[in-house]
Amino acid sequence: MEIEVLIRRAQGGDAESFAELVDLHYDTIYRFAWKWCGHQANAQDIAQLACIKLAASLGQFRFESAFTSWLYRLVINCAQDWQRSQRRHDHDDIDAGEDVSTYSPAEDHIYLMQLLGQLEDLGEGMKETALLVHAQGMSHAEAGAILGVSESTISWRLHIIRRHLGKREAHSVGI
Amino acid sequence: MNKQHYKTVLEQTVAPPPDPEARLRARRAAVEEFVRIQARSQAHSKDGGATATALPARARSWMVQTRAFALAASIGVAVIGIAVTLPMLRENPDLLSPPAAHELTTSTEKPAEAPPPTVSAAPVEPATAEPAAESPRVLPRSEPFSPPPGQLPLAPPAAEVRAAESAATAVEGPREELASAIDVPAKPTGIADSITSEDIDKFPDTSTAESLQRVPGIIANPSTLDPKTTQAARESESSEVVVTGARAARNARLRAAPQKRVSAPPPAITMNHGLVEPPAAEEYTGGDRFRSFEANAVKQVSAEPVSTFSADVDTASYGFVRKQLTQGLLPQKDAVRVEEMINYFDYAWPAADSRETPFRPTVVVSDSPWGKGRKLIHIGIKGYELPARQRPDANLVLLIDVSGSMNAPDKLPLVKDAMRLLVDNLEDDDTVAIVVYAGAAGQVLPPTPVKEKDKILAALATLTPGGSTAGAEGIRLAYELAEKSFRKEGVNRILLATDGDFNVGIHNTRELEGFVERKRAKGIFLSVLGFGQGNYRDELAQALAQNGNGVAVYIDTLNEAHKVLVQEAGAALFTIAKDVKLQVEFNPATVAEYRLVGYETRALKREDFNNDAVDAGDVGAGHAVTAIYEITPFALNARMLDESRYAPKEGTPAGKGTAGEYGYLKIRYKLPDSQKSRLIEQPINIDAGRVPEAIARDIEFSTAVAGFGQLLRGGAYTGALGYDDVARQALAARGEDPFGYRNEFVQLVRKAQTAKGL
Repeated sequence: MEIEVLIRRAQGGDAESFAELVDLHYDTIYRFAWKWCGHQANAQDIAQLACIKLAASLGQFRFESAFTSWLYRLVINCAQDWQRSQRRHDHDDIDAGEDVSTYSPAEDHIYLMQLLGQLEDLGEGMKETALLVHAQGMSHAEAGAILGVSESTISWRLHIIRRHLGKREAHSVGI
Repeated sequence: MNKQHYKTVLEQTVAPPPDPEARLRARRAAVEEFVRIQARSQAHSKDGGATATALPARARSWMVQTRAFALAASIGVAVIGIAVTLPMLRENPDLLSPPAAHELTTSTEKPAEAPPPTVSAAPVEPATAEPAAESPRVLPRSEPFSPPPGQLPLAPPAAEVRAAESAATAVEGPREELASAIDVPAKPTGIADSITSEDIDKFPDTSTAESLQRVPGIIANPSTLDPKTTQAARESESSEVVVTGARAARNARLRAAPQKRVSAPPPAITMNHGLVEPPAAEEYTGGDRFRSFEANAVKQVSAEPVSTFSADVDTASYGFVRKQLTQGLLPQKDAVRVEEMINYFDYAWPAADSRETPFRPTVVVSDSPWGKGRKLIHIGIKGYELPARQRPDANLVLLIDVSGSMNAPDKLPLVKDAMRLLVDNLEDDDTVAIVVYAGAAGQVLPPTPVKEKDKILAALATLTPGGSTAGAEGIRLAYELAEKSFRKEGVNRILLATDGDFNVGIHNTRELEGFVERKRAKGIFLSVLGFGQGNYRDELAQALAQNGNGVAVYIDTLNEAHKVLVQEAGAALFTIAKDVKLQVEFNPATVAEYRLVGYETRALKREDFNNDAVDAGDVGAGHAVTAIYEITPFALNARMLDESRYAPKEGTPAGKGTAGEYGYLKIRYKLPDSQKSRLIEQPINIDAGRVPEAIARDIEFSTAVAGFGQLLRGGAYTGALGYDDVARQALAARGEDPFGYRNEFVQLVRKAQTAKGL
């Protein structure tokens, strides 16, 4: 309930409440952004964009869904905007300087990067779907609401993802 | 590649904690933005423009979006907002430090009221690294259901439905069993297209029967799928599921135990031998009609040095072959067009880099696996890929067959799903109209911008099968609509989704083709999406698509729909070159014989090459076209034809400077909006130099596909090649295969092996 109070205050124009809201959710935003792109500095950029966007669009939050769900949608939009702007402005920067994190085993990070690449190749929305359901543990309905598609679309996407990614794993073991 | 399960990777890979400075920067930027918005609302957004100019364009656009919000906020609250920011700023002196190099979006402007920081506060604590839910999740249900030992030799497609309990029904799809029936279980190589209990859980289906019918060879009684069927009836699953076990019909073991019935609640599983009962021959012919043709023969260079053919980017043949093999049937020979099988796959041929010259031919000479001493010449071209921003607007008319014959799960329901995928992938500015044809043709949806996607999807959802087919009337109406919303600069295309059954309306196929051809001249193109089997009229679909400057594809599963309409949408929708013709003139000094693999139905006369009035195949954005010649060089004892008694021995002396060439390749094409053809030419060198690894691998793979296609057609020219060799070659050249199509191919080869053995 406290979070709701905070949001309502911020929506009313209370900057302190807003700052608190950002403090509370920065980690969520950043971590999601990191999983989305697998890169610390980029994730920080995306998180910053998301925080700024939050300032502008918090007023549109209507308490119709969980705040975090609404927030994920915002972060996804920011991340996609960010990616587009990267593609437009400087092509060299995307792949440059992939940080080898000291927190996740380097191997895990490599897998994640591979996986993100594969998911992107599968088509639009696939990566987001996989992240929301598998990384954030959302239900298909929640993920659908966040991505603005139907629940069945989410199920279908997951099915495709499982077919393509699950299968590749099977190979690496079998052959 | 991935040694871990991808879900585990997604779930458990831990982000490094954010840089505290980045965190502060984000916080400060956000709060500044917040304050600015509040301040703007205070000034009734009149002076907002001045503030906004300091912001990057993106932030400005957000402000515009939130203007309503800003107006709504009250002045007084905004003042308080600014006031309460102050203590906060004091706590975090970093908020006012100069922006760091990495900073993205903050403006340098600071709130005027902010006093210089006097108190230094403790830095914000770094974020904790653990995501909220860290405990590894056990997902036993995600394991594909594997059949218990001792029951595998049962041949597919006998779906076995077991009702362990009324709540959970475990189902093994026939393809899963098919896979295990062959040698796959030891090394699973392909898409195990099984319907597991988890799949059923995940499918957007309302009943098990509905999920089951996603597997080729299983048809659920349409009443099961009818949304009007009561919930209770669907839950009881009491409707009939028909297994068209054509291959199983000849399996003695299966005959001994022809069916398994589920105790309760019982979907009655009927082994309907009569439904798709194959003829006594091994080869399936069914009711599907294909144009019959003979494989290209070996030609003697001295007698016929020039070979001419049209590009073919259709893939319908591969889809049909796959469907047949998946059911354990060998496809009829005429259904196998080797070039369409080769072109089903995407190869690493380098794409051209300008729209003006949309091709760059890749020519590679390699040893032939089909005959000692012979060589293969691969000619690969890849159409220019349109970047998203260059994509022209699309004006699409979906012409959908809703006749009674479409009343099968792999027809209309699949069409609807496929169209939904397509619409999801279009841009807001594109328009879509829907026309149906059955007893009478009718407009279901006038041209509607994709912005109103809901409207389009709702219209799609209303389609139900019924009536006979008036294909021609439907086509006329579709063209009318396409003309109504014609886009001069855009793509105007009709997508005809049908099982090919045009039995009412214009009886004369020629007349219909002529009609399509005339409309093509006006800039409206036609592509054909084929569905279903039983009365599929491949011949007509091909003819219409060829006359309409479009592609003919065969869609047997939703996955295929995804490949054609989403992944390769550019290729299917945006033509980058039309009337693409290829001509190779062989050098009689170096080549004794040649044979073009496939392209039988696309052969052109030599004189047609330079005649711009002669129609030929079209190439879409990103489409790859591959042609393979098998040649016998001179000085090799591998010729298939006797030498001519009268022709000069050992070839003609080489012309000046051409001794190092096998031949000369010419490609003619027209840009989509031009009537005059252009020419690309290059010699085919005997020593082609180094071939990049990716290309060498794809040469191997396409050779394997070509070998497979020829084997399915009887293998007259492939020597001792067997399915085993093809499978081995394809496996070795599988490469990245991000979508699994190549794996699927290897599986198909294995299926062909067993299908033949019956």
